[in-house]
Amino acid sequence: MTHRIVVTGLGAVSALGLSVEETWTAARDGQGGIAPMLFDPGPNGPEGHTTPVAMVKGDALAATEAALGRRVGASLDAFGLYAVKASHEALAQAGLLGTLGARTAAVYGHGFAGLHTLEEGFERFYGRKAARLHPLTVPKVMVSAPVSAIAMEFGIKGPVFGVTSACSSSGHAIIQGAALLNSGMADVAVVGGSEAINTPGCLRAWEGLQAMSPTTCRPFSEGRDGMAIGEGAASMVIETLEHAQARGATILAELAGSGMSSDAFHWTQPSLDGALAAMRPAMEQAGVLNADQLLISAHGTGTPLNDKNESLAIQTLFGERAKQHPVIATKSLHGHLIGATLALQGVIGLEALRHRLAPAIQNYLGPDPDCDLNLVLGEARPIETDHLVLNAFAFGGLNTTLVFRRWS
Amino acid sequence: MATLEDELLDLVAEEALIDRAKLVREATLEDVGLDSVDVVSIVFAIEEKYGAEIAEDAFKNTLNLGEFVDTLKGLIEAKQA
Repeated sequence: MTHRIVVTGLGAVSALGLSVEETWTAARDGQGGIAPMLFDPGPNGPEGHTTPVAMVKGDALAATEAALGRRVGASLDAFGLYAVKASHEALAQAGLLGTLGARTAAVYGHGFAGLHTLEEGFERFYGRKAARLHPLTVPKVMVSAPVSAIAMEFGIKGPVFGVTSACSSSGHAIIQGAALLNSGMADVAVVGGSEAINTPGCLRAWEGLQAMSPTTCRPFSEGRDGMAIGEGAASMVIETLEHAQARGATILAELAGSGMSSDAFHWTQPSLDGALAAMRPAMEQAGVLNADQLLISAHGTGTPLNDKNESLAIQTLFGERAKQHPVIATKSLHGHLIGATLALQGVIGLEALRHRLAPAIQNYLGPDPDCDLNLVLGEARPIETDHLVLNAFAFGGLNTTLVFRRWS
Repeated sequence: MATLEDELLDLVAEEALIDRAKLVREATLEDVGLDSVDVVSIVFAIEEKYGAEIAEDAFKNTLNLGEFVDTLKGLIEAKQA
């Protein structure tokens, strides 16, 4: 890297709360947000059904309007609203609100788009036979809507765009934001991801894929039976070290390494080679392949295949040292946020490094010999490491791994 | 109990994010900052709430907010009659 890239702000919205503080406290205390919920498609659809999901906790609209000091009303789909709220929190922590312009970038990731708006519009169109859709349907649905909203709200005039790679989207967003800083095209970047796909139609689509748990998310556990979908957003403010130091910013962490790979293999089956091809270069770049301890925030979806493959990847990459690294899987708390998941796990993981405490995996029933790792179970566990490893392995075979180093 | 006119002006304020106090009958749509997308958003919300059907060109001769609300009231009352 030509520049060192540091993190100076964090923001989060999820089933764990509407701020980083609420999110961390809930994660630390094992107060998960996955619960059964009835999804009723209305009079033109099939009967409603109940399924476990992790919905955003609290009134995100009221919290966003209170933070911004103005109303945003119905101009944003939920996936845009969450992105604005998380980015406001991150920029406020970084001390950059009101100062941004052409030297700031924004790169945001999403697996899907504004599905609440799209489904409601199409229910009106196909179900109720109404010819007219809401005039803001297109700007609310488009996958770049959240990052445009972030740019408009905070005056960001440099390179601004959305990226998409299913469950790796916010990993790619962070890496692309860092690449813009490294290239000299910007000094600061707001990066992260958001998702809001818990709609009656979309959940049925996920069930069709046979990936959803009928009970809850149990990463690396015996008897695990699939994922639970969450919603929300997470943002990071990243900047070059020179820029952060010149303005006297409080630095939280450094982006020490990153890796990206594609399995080029299968829509839903994971690949050991693909996972390793993302993880290994990230470790090498960060110089932590032989570290005594790393905090690994696993992709850990709770599906039988992912957790087995990810366990094997960690064992293969670290060999005898694999058991030295505490492994956490916070999707058992906040569900799978798809395009926002790596960013949210990054926020929780960086808080874990700061507090030197690894939050426990929830809903664990017992050991699975295919997942023989140093799992953090029971209660939050003290940790010594300064390094956080984040994995995201997406359907379609798109992988990202990031390594952050606590700043001291 | 709020009159239909009050309800409609509340809805205009809500949909177009306009200060409710600015919404007086004499104000033009331009005065209060209602653009064409705002108007369609308001029409959409009224169709959802009252089940009324409102044609695209219903407001083409509308000069001020009073006429705008009167037109909406007429369409809603016709639906409810």
